[in-house]
Amino acid sequence: MDNLPSAPTARIGADIGGTFTDVALVDGNGRLAIHKVVSTPPDFGRAVAEVVERLQRDGAVGPETEVIHGTTVATNAILERRGARTALLTTDGFRDVLELRRARAPELYDARYVPPPPLVDRRWRIGLRERIGPEGQVLVPIDEAEVRRVIAFLAAEGVESIAVCLLHSFRNPSHERLIGRILEETAAYTSLSVDLLPVIGEYERTSTTVVNAYIGPVVSRYVLDLAADLRRIAGIGRLQVMQSSGGLMSAARAARQPAQIVESGPAGGVIAGVRLGEVSAARDLICLDMGGTTAKASVIEGGVPTLTSEYEVGSGISLSSQMSKGRGYALKVPVLDIAEVGAGGGSIVTADPLGTILVGPHSAGAVPGPVCYAAGGTHATVTDANVVLGFVNPEAIAGGSRAIHPDLAHRAIRDDVASPLGLSVEAAAHGVFGVATATMARAVKAVTTYRGRDPRDFVLLAFGGNGPIFAAALAESLGMRHVRIPAAAGVFSALGLLEAEEAWHLSQSVFAVSAALDPDDLVRHYRVLERRLLDELAEGETRAVEITWGADVRYAGQGYDLTIPVDRTGAPGDLVARLRETFHATHARAYGHAAESDEIELVNVRVTGRLPRSGAISRATAASGQGASSRSIWLGPRLGRHVAPVLDRADLRMPVMGPVLIEEPDTTTVVPPGWSARLDEQNTIVMEHVA
Amino acid sequence: MSGDGGAGAHGTPLDQDPATLEIVRHALGSVADEMALIIARTAYSATVRDALDYSTGILNAGGELVAQGLGIALHLGSFPSAVGRIVETYGPTLQPGDVFILNDPYGWGGIHLPDIYIIKPIFHGGSVLAFAATVAHHTDVGGLIPGSNSTTTTEIFQEGIRLPGVRLYEGGRLNQAILDIIAANVRVPHKVLGDLRAQLAAVDAGERGYLDLVRRYGADGLAALEEALLNLAERMARREIASFPDGVYRQVAWIDNDSVDPGPVRIEVAVTIAGDTIKVDLAGTSPQVRGGINSPLPFTKSAVYAATRLVLDRSIPNSAGYFRAIEVVAPAASVVNPDFPAACGARGITGFRVMDAVTGALAQAVPDRVPADGEGGNTLVSIGANDQAGQPFVFIEMFCGSRGAGQGYDGPAGVPHPGSNNANLPIEIAESTYPVSYREYGLVQDSAGPGQWRGAPALVRDFDYLGSDGQVQVRSDKRDHPPFGLAGGGPGRRSMTTVDHAGEITERPVMGPSPILTGDRFRHELASGAGWGNPLARDPEAVLRDVRNDLISAARAALDYGVVISPDGTVDAEETTASRARSAPAE
Repeated sequence: MDNLPSAPTARIGADIGGTFTDVALVDGNGRLAIHKVVSTPPDFGRAVAEVVERLQRDGAVGPETEVIHGTTVATNAILERRGARTALLTTDGFRDVLELRRARAPELYDARYVPPPPLVDRRWRIGLRERIGPEGQVLVPIDEAEVRRVIAFLAAEGVESIAVCLLHSFRNPSHERLIGRILEETAAYTSLSVDLLPVIGEYERTSTTVVNAYIGPVVSRYVLDLAADLRRIAGIGRLQVMQSSGGLMSAARAARQPAQIVESGPAGGVIAGVRLGEVSAARDLICLDMGGTTAKASVIEGGVPTLTSEYEVGSGISLSSQMSKGRGYALKVPVLDIAEVGAGGGSIVTADPLGTILVGPHSAGAVPGPVCYAAGGTHATVTDANVVLGFVNPEAIAGGSRAIHPDLAHRAIRDDVASPLGLSVEAAAHGVFGVATATMARAVKAVTTYRGRDPRDFVLLAFGGNGPIFAAALAESLGMRHVRIPAAAGVFSALGLLEAEEAWHLSQSVFAVSAALDPDDLVRHYRVLERRLLDELAEGETRAVEITWGADVRYAGQGYDLTIPVDRTGAPGDLVARLRETFHATHARAYGHAAESDEIELVNVRVTGRLPRSGAISRATAASGQGASSRSIWLGPRLGRHVAPVLDRADLRMPVMGPVLIEEPDTTTVVPPGWSARLDEQNTIVMEHVA
Repeated sequence: MSGDGGAGAHGTPLDQDPATLEIVRHALGSVADEMALIIARTAYSATVRDALDYSTGILNAGGELVAQGLGIALHLGSFPSAVGRIVETYGPTLQPGDVFILNDPYGWGGIHLPDIYIIKPIFHGGSVLAFAATVAHHTDVGGLIPGSNSTTTTEIFQEGIRLPGVRLYEGGRLNQAILDIIAANVRVPHKVLGDLRAQLAAVDAGERGYLDLVRRYGADGLAALEEALLNLAERMARREIASFPDGVYRQVAWIDNDSVDPGPVRIEVAVTIAGDTIKVDLAGTSPQVRGGINSPLPFTKSAVYAATRLVLDRSIPNSAGYFRAIEVVAPAASVVNPDFPAACGARGITGFRVMDAVTGALAQAVPDRVPADGEGGNTLVSIGANDQAGQPFVFIEMFCGSRGAGQGYDGPAGVPHPGSNNANLPIEIAESTYPVSYREYGLVQDSAGPGQWRGAPALVRDFDYLGSDGQVQVRSDKRDHPPFGLAGGGPGRRSMTTVDHAGEITERPVMGPSPILTGDRFRHELASGAGWGNPLARDPEAVLRDVRNDLISAARAALDYGVVISPDGTVDAEETTASRARSAPAE
């Protein structure tokens, strides 16, 4: 690893979206600059390289610069089925575990449900004669000669990547390790389940390992190419990639464990929310990131973002994924618990002839975009409705670079929604707004209500190009009274990349009831993981790694566990007692009851290591100087029509009452009647429902 | 207050603001989903927490289902019967904090004893607005055999503890005596009580979620919105049914036997489509049988509703509104409407077969919406004995996942019968929990029903049994009556159960109990999915792909599909054309 900077140097956060690539640069003096460029599919890294090249010519970056990257390359490889020719080595008799999944279709009454095809053809799923038992005992020894024969066959078939997942390997990794050593002699990309996910549950472990293998060659090529470009362009040697968990990992490690960066893209916004919460003392936040295609909701509770390890990749829009499995590929690694719904500014709206309005999941994207762009879009979209309602500037958006045609928006809403339903155009647009809000409310509920949390205990932090338009209405629909719109809301995710810390998660299955746990053994488990983590995380790092412990615990007999924090500084002797106490309380909070006389079971121990950031906070500023104006807006039958002043963010240094519109190049904030708005020290718009 | 259950099609969904209607539809669905999630996450038994054999719903004050969580289709249609009986019996005396428990299919709307309902009336301003309801399949409720799903019981008294609808909580106070009586009557009280706690947590969450909506929309407003949703579901269903060709469509499905008396059990349906209504008449179905496969009427109706729903638009709101377009007639004292005290512990198989008969009949009207026959519903394997440490256990495995092919797609492997959308039991969890060691869980070569689109191959589960000597109860089917193909597709392969005792392999009944001894190797192969369309019309490359994936042998490729594979591993186009011409002379 390269020499570490002793003083702050320039850092770049590069967030690549389907439409735009946002690059945020903090220079050595802490100044923030934002660059928004059009993305360059399919070679998404090119946009980043081009911006860095420009910055290098301007003398803004150099070899000391660190680049932090959020990318959807891994997700896209799966969605577009562009992964490697992949094989799976598993235990004889179980090669179909991958295909048979957990049974269960994701929806009731779907006679014609067909799950997505497995990422590995059956021909390349090969059962080896070997067997480990449930206590880790070797029931049938592995046959090295057979392994070599199978690998030779796969090489002859042109297989590029090999996943290895044997039954009960999390209890005894020796057989997988032997295969790993043999594979090291080959050119194949190798993924061992014991490296990725040494926990019980053969389907989820196999699927995770296969996903890693499938995207491995594509992702490793992408990040290593980008790293090489950065080195060539500006001598930059430090490329970090955002993980699905919200922590960073080195490009080299991302190349080995791409399963960890599948949800790299949306994680930046959540981390930005965490940091903003820290500096503005908002500990309980619901983040709403609404862009052009989707809206994503996530929860920060007590300053900590929520992680889930029940996730499916490639399932399109995910909602309540806990119940509704079967549309994608199970990936059981820590992922920020983000619920995504198909409601963005570009989402196409239609009228069901029986009287309902439908929003999404299809999107007009940026090209052709909403009808009001006059760029070829022919289907009414959410943004068209927002133009009709007066929420979007009727002349131009994006700092004047994108002309808006309100007449086209009006016509589109009339033809696609109002006429079929026998509604006025205004009522139809308001209906679209309401349905989009309701759809987002479902995403919010998926991460709150479904998890036993009440959204009214949270502050809504809304960002992305469209989040600030809907924030107040969404909050009202959920009974929430507090809303914040961060500065640079349209590129908030890129800021989050600059705020992220390097983090690494390791876990180990224990699977023992608390009565059978020896505190010393338990501490030993944690210490072993700590050592492994430091070895992997540090890679020559000298900065102090912050270690935290966690545990996945349940009542003996339950099938799902709750992850609870474990205080590693407490007395080792009462570790088990503390586990029990914390678990009862956590269970009661999550589900409304605790069974304190019941035995608890420790499923996994978890260790997380972090390399903390040196406190770079958002440097985003509030724009001013547009000049005062006003606009007529329609807020539905209850609130009616209002003439709303159109203000700059900077104007909110004096508190105002809605109705008000706050217009910025990348978004508009709607402050409805009954809401107050003011600016805080971070230039965040603070809105309160006072009526 | 809305909903006397017979509101009919007069209300119009458009008397409500469409956006609000959509919002409330999502909101009610969220409440039921949240209930479901809480059960999955807190239940104790593998049947509930891993196989997910439970359901959740919200019913209006009139007992109509207005929202349902992702659960088991065969359960959901039974909620109105159970809640209806509670209302009839306790209506005027209901009070806040009451929670009811029941499982009795005779007179209480239950569907068999292992399925225990927990029902909580939701109060606001002194009156009942709605009910939060859950039903979960409990691992054991006592009776003749561990797992309480015997096929050989001949009256319900042998099947376990019967719970009429009684208050488990009265005005918020727990009636501990009921739990104590249950605990004393079941083989694994820890699991049963743990699952009941999960159900109780779910109805509490349902109540909380529902009252949040009442605060937003008002009690009357919400009731009106629910009525609009019911009307919308009804209207969408009727509109679609009206587009189906009128006629009387008949279908017979068979259950091999009831495991007590020989001979098949006949399920006959006449499905009459007339305008925008469907009438399903089960006249001609066998009289009730001695074995435990009698399907109580609520379960039969549930099966008919679920089967009909399978051919309707999936975007219809998940409410009972569409039930209004469907009439069910079942002859008294028949296997689909038994008289007290007929045994019904294993009635699931009859529910599956009622669904298959109804969808088979509907396939004549709307052939593109119905796939060919599949495995016939999950195979239930239960063993109760002691494990290696001498501790008693009840092992239940719900083994499922061979669907038939449909027009345009092969039958998917690993996907359960739509009547019972349960999950599988992971091998690593099974081996860590029960005295079993698996040899195989996978697909069987050359088993898929052939067709232009082929069925799913048969699934096999094969394990060494390590517990003490005991009995294994199997509830399967389709040994004598294999899955039927559609549109010229071939049938699926028959199911099979074998036990290897000390090297001697014997076939065991696919329905009923038989001994299992320490060290025996138990193997069950599901019936496979049947095919859709003429196998000779299957794309030769698809056949080749199946051969390369070891799903069919080159020999079967030639025999069933007329596809000849060259020694170099490609399709011999010339030979294939010639072979297919020989098999199917010009018509």
